[in-house]
Amino acid sequence: MSTPVLTVEHMTMRFGGLVAVDDLSFTAGRRQITSIIGPNGAGKTTVFNCITGFYKPTTGRLTLTHENGDAFLLERLDDFRINHLAKVARTFQNIRLFGGMTVLENLMVAQHNPLMLASGYSLAAVLWPASYRRKEKEAVELARYWLEKTGLIHRADEAAGSLPYGEQRRLEIARAMCTRPVLLCLDEPAAGLNPKESEELNELLVSIRDDEGISILLIEHDMGVVMKISDHIVVLDYGRKIAEGTPEEVRNDPAVIAAYLGVSDEDEVQEVIHEQH
Amino acid sequence: MEYFLQQLINGLTLGSIYGLIAIGYTMVYGIIGMINFAHGDIFMIGAFVSLIVFLIVIGLGVTWIPLVLLIVLLVAMLVTSAYGWTVERLAYRPLRGSFRLAPLITAIGMSIFLQNYVQIAQGARVKSLPPVITGGYTLMEVDGFTVQISNIQIIIMIVTVVLMAIFAYIIARTPLGRAQRATEQDAVMASLLGINVDRTISLTFVIGAALASVAGLMFVLYYGVIDFYIGFIAGIKAFTAAVLGGIGSLPGAMLGGLIIGLIETFWSAYFSIEYKDVAAFSILAIVLIFLPSGLLGKPSVEKV
Amino acid sequence: MSETTRAGAAAPSPVRNPVVEALKEALMAGLLAATLASFILGVKTVDAPGGLQLEYRWHWVLIAFGVVAVGRFLLRLLWWRRDAALPGAAAAIGRSAGQLAQPLGKFAGPALLAAAFLLPFMPFIGRYEMDIAILVLTYVLLGWGLNVVVGYAGLLDLGYVAFYAVGAYAYALLATHFGLGFWTVLPLAGILAAIWGMILGFPVLRLRGDYLAIVTLAFGEIIRVVLLNWQEVTGGPDGISGIPRPTFFGLEFKRFGENTFHQFFGIEFSPMHRLYFLYFIILVLALITYMVTNRLRRLPVGRAWEAMREDEIACRSLGINPTNTKLTAFAIGAFFGGLGGSFFATRQGFISPESFTFIESAIILAIVVLGGLGSQIGVAIAAIVMIGGFEVFRGLEEYRMLLFGLLMVVIMVWRPRGLVSHRMPTIFLGKERKAVSAEMVGEGSG
Repeated sequence: MSTPVLTVEHMTMRFGGLVAVDDLSFTAGRRQITSIIGPNGAGKTTVFNCITGFYKPTTGRLTLTHENGDAFLLERLDDFRINHLAKVARTFQNIRLFGGMTVLENLMVAQHNPLMLASGYSLAAVLWPASYRRKEKEAVELARYWLEKTGLIHRADEAAGSLPYGEQRRLEIARAMCTRPVLLCLDEPAAGLNPKESEELNELLVSIRDDEGISILLIEHDMGVVMKISDHIVVLDYGRKIAEGTPEEVRNDPAVIAAYLGVSDEDEVQEVIHEQH
Repeated sequence: MEYFLQQLINGLTLGSIYGLIAIGYTMVYGIIGMINFAHGDIFMIGAFVSLIVFLIVIGLGVTWIPLVLLIVLLVAMLVTSAYGWTVERLAYRPLRGSFRLAPLITAIGMSIFLQNYVQIAQGARVKSLPPVITGGYTLMEVDGFTVQISNIQIIIMIVTVVLMAIFAYIIARTPLGRAQRATEQDAVMASLLGINVDRTISLTFVIGAALASVAGLMFVLYYGVIDFYIGFIAGIKAFTAAVLGGIGSLPGAMLGGLIIGLIETFWSAYFSIEYKDVAAFSILAIVLIFLPSGLLGKPSVEKV
Repeated sequence: MSETTRAGAAAPSPVRNPVVEALKEALMAGLLAATLASFILGVKTVDAPGGLQLEYRWHWVLIAFGVVAVGRFLLRLLWWRRDAALPGAAAAIGRSAGQLAQPLGKFAGPALLAAAFLLPFMPFIGRYEMDIAILVLTYVLLGWGLNVVVGYAGLLDLGYVAFYAVGAYAYALLATHFGLGFWTVLPLAGILAAIWGMILGFPVLRLRGDYLAIVTLAFGEIIRVVLLNWQEVTGGPDGISGIPRPTFFGLEFKRFGENTFHQFFGIEFSPMHRLYFLYFIILVLALITYMVTNRLRRLPVGRAWEAMREDEIACRSLGINPTNTKLTAFAIGAFFGGLGGSFFATRQGFISPESFTFIESAIILAIVVLGGLGSQIGVAIAAIVMIGGFEVFRGLEEYRMLLFGLLMVVIMVWRPRGLVSHRMPTIFLGKERKAVSAEMVGEGSG
């Protein structure tokens, strides 16, 4: 197996006296879907925020490795550099689109850095030269590709804020993909989706992994999604890793069942396990 | 050293006045998150009403100064509060929950309106009042240099401290204060819980205006000179004080006011009087760069 | 007092006589007005030999009471009906006007442009009208410049006048001390202002929301105080006079002297020539501002500005450097402020710190917000309405500013999102060009 795309070593995040993430270590394999699951408040989103640079972990090392061997220490990079240099893209639990801009514009903003370069930091392109027009056309083509893939092409010229919820979720993924990431971090992409949309999301994620060759890090509550598409699962509880492994291993881990599903509710555990088969 | 002490006293006096105005800014900002640009002009109106009522009361033959001041204080608070209430009702309430910049523009419009209204009604000339409260105490005398605290300075500081205590009590202990804090946290939720949000906000403006009118009275007594334009610069200083102290925090506003007053006084005394405003604003910029939420403000955690 | 009535309305009151209700309200409103008027309108302080004297004018209090009470009574009875509040009605009118404005917007631009080019040749245009037109165009330019900062990037700048001042003093000083011409200094002044924008912006752009507003305001005041007190360079309160006028390819607009415009073209001298010339300078400068800012909006940096206004955190997750993006907005806005300042200096021939007070910043900001944040055509219309209207009411003298302030309040309450509130996307995939409605567009937090 090739080198993991992301290696998290002994990461701890404290907010004042609260320890949100406690000495967490795990790896995310290249071209794999790695899921982080755990009850509410387990520190999953905090892990994401540390990986994408919005928080600086108190201690620990986060290494992102590209296929060509370039390595980036994420804890030392600003959030926007993590996307720009290390090529980590993310979505947000509470969707953060540019609501007043159209769907297409959202995807153009995502290609800011290459377009900035192509436009001579925008100042040279005030005269609208052909070289820039060509680059912009390419950017539109990339946007079109992802709009088709996410089934949003008919919405291209509509305000992102006017889309229904499920489409906004997909648009956020399309936007993240337009930054041409190596690692895509998705924070509860299935939240609020109906079963059909959830199924489409599964297909999209699998396609991103298999067809595009992108590694995915996933936070998700919807076990239907997690168990079906994950290659590897990390289980958090109170900021600590309590288990990891393949979906099969995690599903049968008594510690996970106890912590994640709650020991008291035996029926629900059975129900959830049953659902998976 | 003596010079320093004297400037300290002067600075604290000026700072008290700024602090009283700053409370109005900080309360309004705390509750509806807007810069009430017209607040400086409310202060100016308070000063004018104080001056006029003072002249009327004296003209009626009342000579016992404490009584005169009490009457002036009450009338000025009443009339100025009415201005505060009206400004909120006409220029801000219709825009509640609307575009964030809209009330800022109406506030600037109101500020222009009030300035010109007073200018037309009272004339553009500077109004001066001979010193009403004279006398004071000599604190120390060294080598012919005396450190004095005048009676008016004592009154200003005492009034400020007493008012601060009263309002701190109101905010912390009374139903109004609770309603205010609840509205500050979440106006929609507060209204669902039966708090009359509109009235709470109105009362906030009324309280702010009342305190500004006290500051206006102090200003008249201390400086003895006012015109229709004093509200603008005092307003900016007071808002600076509120931001410096940490906007939304009452003790912060007071502390910020004192600091701005001290900076101005000391800068004028030791460096140059012309650049005192530059000094005050520069300190503000520096503090904000290192302490983005002010001295006593709650640091805001960015939610991702 | 609507507090009391609203509370009353909530309570079950089977019999409610609208006239009695309205009377009650009218009485309350009248009393409030009387309180407001009491010591400001009712008594006037007059300077007299022995100190201040009072002049009682209690009739004004009665008038205030009467006007407000009757007005409230009639409004309540005739127009508001029961619970339809004024803001609601105003908003409804605003909405319908907005729908009207959208198709109008297509033609407004070209129509305004044509009018701008033809204006000087209209028969009714005299010296005074030209002066106003030049002034309006100056504010249009400044509005478009500030629009980049406030409208696109969503950064609240209350000290825009500082850059205007930098541009004006840059030209005045370089021209009077080093004899540099207007056309040489113009770009320099812009660049200088842009550099100032960056120097200011670098430390303060990390601040959020209204903190940025107060620091920019403070910066504007600092610049003014420095101009006022740095006598050796700026001339202090006396300002700088004798600032050279712009030349037409080296030809001067003077009655006498060599190399004058009218001699070269063999036409009779007319003082209007210079006004026409100034008019076309500012028209061209404004159009350049329009084209550059409009183009920038369609470029990556412009999209990043707007994205920053919509959601800064999302921007950062997409690899956009927030500081650089905001700095460019600040610098570009400042650049055009500097151009405007230079033009102002050459037009006036005299500048002093008095021209660069906070009220200027407020007026420019008001133009941008009233026009509709981010809408260039709206900004142009707002500048015409505000500055033109302001001049039309010159006859009212001291009441002019009073009305100006009131107008700002009324327009804003009427249309909080400004005259043109929809947003035009910068790129389309399909053929149809649809605007984004105002409710979707973010307002920025900076």
